[in-house]
Amino acid sequence: MIWAAFECDPATDIICKPEFVNELFETHTIFSIGGFDVNRAILLMFLAAFVAIGLLWFAFRKPAVVPTKFGAAMEAVVGFVRDEIAIGIIGPTGIKYFPYLLSVFLFVLIGNLFEVTPFINFPITSRMAIPLFLSLLTYFIFVGVGIAKNGFHYFSGIAWPKSVPAGLRPLVGLIELVSTFVLRPITLAVRLFANLVAGHVMLTLLLASGVVFISQVGDIGFRSAIGLGWFTVGMAIFVFEIAVAALQAYIFTLLSAVYIQTSVHPEH
Amino acid sequence: MEDISGALALIGYGLAAIGPGIGIGIIAGNAVQAMARQPEAAGMVRTTMFLGIAFAEALTLIGFVLFFIA
Repeated sequence: MIWAAFECDPATDIICKPEFVNELFETHTIFSIGGFDVNRAILLMFLAAFVAIGLLWFAFRKPAVVPTKFGAAMEAVVGFVRDEIAIGIIGPTGIKYFPYLLSVFLFVLIGNLFEVTPFINFPITSRMAIPLFLSLLTYFIFVGVGIAKNGFHYFSGIAWPKSVPAGLRPLVGLIELVSTFVLRPITLAVRLFANLVAGHVMLTLLLASGVVFISQVGDIGFRSAIGLGWFTVGMAIFVFEIAVAALQAYIFTLLSAVYIQTSVHPEH
Repeated sequence: MEDISGALALIGYGLAAIGPGIGIGIIAGNAVQAMARQPEAAGMVRTTMFLGIAFAEALTLIGFVLFFIA
């Protein structure tokens, strides 16, 4: 998008937009291996996975009584996911789901933070495939756990809830069915995707406007002052996006845990 | 008609942002009140607040995605 901005002539036509909105979501193929096109998002996805594995490996390969600063920081992150999310939401049996939740948390967090990493500046979670796949994983886990723990009663408990008056049961049951099996995976994926797309587009627009206004306009004066303003606002949003990245990773993991919890203890 | 479609999608997104905006305000305000009244329950209140915000926010974000699809 930045290159598209540079290509338009700022002297005559300052407003230029892509022909087609899907241009925002196109990633160009870098190389192909046996029919699979590898693009930037896939490479960054592997990088995120390796960074997550590397962080945990370097932090915990030599367990010590007094951990290093880095080890202590990682211990805080792992302890937060274990105590606040896994055990805090699901209950004592939640330790079983802790490895899944920790992997999802770290992967989504690193994928989100790519948005504000210099020279990468591309959140992999802003491509629908990745949040959708993660949310489908959560979906299969919570449906599978529900069937394993309660058998067929899992479905009948949702479709015919005992805790509401008999006359309302068909209505509430229908709403619960749709919201549990259709809306949950969609909203879980769309929430992460849309937050990151919004942040990425906002950052790109503000910073690119700043760069274009300052560098492309020949005369130093009023226009470069506007560019400096855009750049300052972009930098403020930059800090805000770091908070959004961490918060969305937390919310994705938290909601996964909540969904699993409703399957483990269906009556609550 | 094609020229106006982008603007209409923007208006739709704006309408979708009203309700969740009010909802998130109510959630956050009540969470602050709860934390002020009972500071020892702050952790639990904060978790529940994020959950509520996430659910309310989903509607706006669906509007945001529809803005791209439309």
